[in-house]
Amino acid sequence: MRETLISLTGLFLIIQIVSSQVINKLPLSERITGYKIDVTLDTDAKTAGGNMEAFWVNKSSDTVPDIRMHLYMNAFRSNRTTFYKESGGSPGEEEKDPGWIEIKSFFDKNGVDLLPMMEFIRPDDGNTEDKTVIRLLLPEPALPGDTVFVKINFVTKLPSKIRRTGYSDNYFFVAQWFPKFGVYEPAGMRYATSGAWNCHQFHANSEFYSNHSVYDVTISLPESYVTGSGGKLISETREGEMKTLTFRAEDIVDFAWTAWPDYALFNDKWGNVNITLLIPKDRIKQVDRQFAAVKNALEYLGQNVGPYPWPHLTFVDPPSIGAGAGGMEYTTLFTSGSSYFMPDFIHIPELVTVHEFGHAYFMGMLANNEFEEPWLDEGVNSYWEERIMDHYYGKNSGVLDHRMLKIPDIAYSRLSYVLSPSRQAVSNNEYSWNYPHGTYSMMSYLKTATWLHTLEGIVGEETMNNIFRQYYRKWAFRHPSGKDFVNVVNEAVRTDHGDKFGPDMNWFFDQTLYGTGICDYRVSGIINRKYLKPAGITESADTVINTWPNSDSLYTSAAQLERIGEVMLPLDVLIHFTDGSEALESWDGKARFKDFKYTGYRQIQWVNIDPDFKIRMDVNFNNNSMTKDPPKAPLHQLFSKITTFVQYFLSVMLL
Amino acid sequence: MRILNSLRAGIFRALRSWKGVLIVWFLMFILVSAFMYPLRSSADSAFGTSMITEKLSDGFDIEIFAGLGPVFKSLVSFFISGILIVYLSGFLLNSFLAGGLFNIVREDEIKFSGKEFFRAGAANFWPFLIISLIVTIVIILLGLILIGIPSHIAGASDNLSEKGAFNLVISGAVVFLVIIPLPVLVADYARAWKTVNGNSSCFRAIGFGFSYTFRNFLSSFFTMVPLMLAQIILGLFILKISPGWRPVTGSGLFLLLIFSQLILCFRILLKVWRYASITYLFEGSLKVNPANQ
Repeated sequence: MRETLISLTGLFLIIQIVSSQVINKLPLSERITGYKIDVTLDTDAKTAGGNMEAFWVNKSSDTVPDIRMHLYMNAFRSNRTTFYKESGGSPGEEEKDPGWIEIKSFFDKNGVDLLPMMEFIRPDDGNTEDKTVIRLLLPEPALPGDTVFVKINFVTKLPSKIRRTGYSDNYFFVAQWFPKFGVYEPAGMRYATSGAWNCHQFHANSEFYSNHSVYDVTISLPESYVTGSGGKLISETREGEMKTLTFRAEDIVDFAWTAWPDYALFNDKWGNVNITLLIPKDRIKQVDRQFAAVKNALEYLGQNVGPYPWPHLTFVDPPSIGAGAGGMEYTTLFTSGSSYFMPDFIHIPELVTVHEFGHAYFMGMLANNEFEEPWLDEGVNSYWEERIMDHYYGKNSGVLDHRMLKIPDIAYSRLSYVLSPSRQAVSNNEYSWNYPHGTYSMMSYLKTATWLHTLEGIVGEETMNNIFRQYYRKWAFRHPSGKDFVNVVNEAVRTDHGDKFGPDMNWFFDQTLYGTGICDYRVSGIINRKYLKPAGITESADTVINTWPNSDSLYTSAAQLERIGEVMLPLDVLIHFTDGSEALESWDGKARFKDFKYTGYRQIQWVNIDPDFKIRMDVNFNNNSMTKDPPKAPLHQLFSKITTFVQYFLSVMLL
Repeated sequence: MRILNSLRAGIFRALRSWKGVLIVWFLMFILVSAFMYPLRSSADSAFGTSMITEKLSDGFDIEIFAGLGPVFKSLVSFFISGILIVYLSGFLLNSFLAGGLFNIVREDEIKFSGKEFFRAGAANFWPFLIISLIVTIVIILLGLILIGIPSHIAGASDNLSEKGAFNLVISGAVVFLVIIPLPVLVADYARAWKTVNGNSSCFRAIGFGFSYTFRNFLSSFFTMVPLMLAQIILGLFILKISPGWRPVTGSGLFLLLIFSQLILCFRILLKVWRYASITYLFEGSLKVNPANQ
């Protein structure tokens, strides 16, 4: 009875805490789940353990008999887990170094011990060595509107090989570290036809899926450690050689934190957003670059997608010993990646910062299921990263901006896709762990970004912005699926362009998102023939000669185009004539071949399909044009310089 | 004073040897062109009648070459293997030509004779080849010790800070750059000695190169420093102007070719200046100690 009372009091307290507003004036999300965690970091044992009180609200109309939770850290138990079977390697440097999470006690709101009702399940692959998902049969099913309250005592051992999470010497990056609810999807939500938990195992090529939650996290650790998290620091107390920090985060999908004595901490502000950067003391000269990058991303996404709603943001540039934690996102906390020596012309640190910050939108706010539709956050976010990088760091120099070599971000992703031998192995629409032959990154990040740029080429940049503004308005702090995104595209394109592209844009997505075909158009020939006057016995009058009186210098010309790939997209074709005139033609791109024919005193000099490179999915830009007079000078200029460099190289290298 | 005298005499002797400079430039140009011309023709052929190369007018564009697909891989492979072959051929050619150059920068060689230039080149070919080979290996070993090992330590160490690791590698590189004149001096003294002592072993020449370099360390080293600095400045000058110069017309391309080849002639002239200055220093030792002959 006493335990029940204590638990009920706990339930009351946690619900009161999570329903109160500390950061924003109003809740941003439904807050189906909430967590109050109190842990101590043992820097010798490399563990974070303590108590967690959490709840899940059954907002569906279903009676739910169980709950499911992720125990992500068990992915690092051995090399037999699904994570390691898929990725290879081993989870630790030594036998003692794997990571794991152990639930020591598990009670419900009435103080009933739930541990006996807990079982490990493997919904994805049946791997009995995998203990990353638990199912817990509730003593009483959760009725619609019920709140399931749990109180867990757990200890998490961090792995020594940091793969997003873990420790290295005295460096800690603590992520995927506490028992976390899956997402209950009632019928009609995303692709669910009946209510069920969506709680996948931890895979090598997979990220996460969870409800927007409120987190109240208290961390005790040695005083010398500098700490950062996705929450707002509420209080800090010291006792002896230990300190206790309390963080609060609202409406985010994950809570991670880091601790290391050698961090230098910097603060800056953009609008009403307080930005904190934790960076190794060695890298202080990178601070301005990092702040500039994150402010660029805040500005660009704020203007073109929607406002960043939290007043705080923390990002971390992990030291080289913790590099495995770099390039990851936890909504209001993300990790970048740079180094002590990073020349200004290399924009990789900025790129990582912009990309990871972008995830605050694409899966932070627009919380799609990363397990099942990774393209919807990684690909969409890569598209925005490329726009931001090439906007702020130069149209041709988003990645590299050196006088000798410039590489735009948009080109990098396209090349990674078009040059991949496995570019047709699978469609974009796969569960993250099902991408074959190492195609996960290429497909979910780069192909998606490439077809999104292609979509932009077709509908225009402003419509693209409208699509994402509408997507943000409709789906922020919810769980959109791919089909929800497609529906938004259809609505926005129809609003901006009417029937210009047909009743919807499904034809585009069927080919690019759901299809495996490639896009390749080419100019197969340019024909210029002297007009043949009628000769012999003809039965009809020659209308051409009537129109063009000087028939001796009359030509019939044709630009011959072909569609080599399976993907059919509308195109512009620019045709240039010998008299300097030009014709800009439109082609729906559907037929296998197309001839544009002309009669007149002029001849076709060159033909250029998609002259503005809008169709970025085209796997070969080189065959998009043909000319009667190929431009040799640019290539010869390049080779002349290479010749000079080779001569100079010889002169230097030979004694 | 000795340093200035050697540099001044070196300039006069190098200018006097301008025909030799032209011979070296021409043969090296032929060698490199024999490799680059087919490569350029292959690229021309790969792009065919496409207009995509117009984008190269704005500078190198990775998308254009990557768009060639497997042909691009073949071009890269051709380029890499070609560079290696050109380097090895250049190594042999340079051993031959250096023989002629060291001969014409001597004090007593006033009038240039092509016949004498090639005779000296042929006579000194094998010893110069061995001297160049040994000194090149020494330079590579120094690079491995001073840059390679610190880089490996920096990469493997968990205890070294990033700044510490960077400084370690940079320190190694700086030391390498500072001592690189020494093996070059050894090679130059050895070749100067061998030019005078025609029948002696090349290994004796290398021995002389080492001993003379260290016996006359200060004057030798500080003669070499301005000579190498001049070459570095020229290299930086090329790097500075080359990327921005993008001619698109035939005459512009011709001008680029002429200008770049003039720069390379100048580069060879600087190298001959080095040969001549070191030869002057060596000849000074003969006057003091004829036993060096």
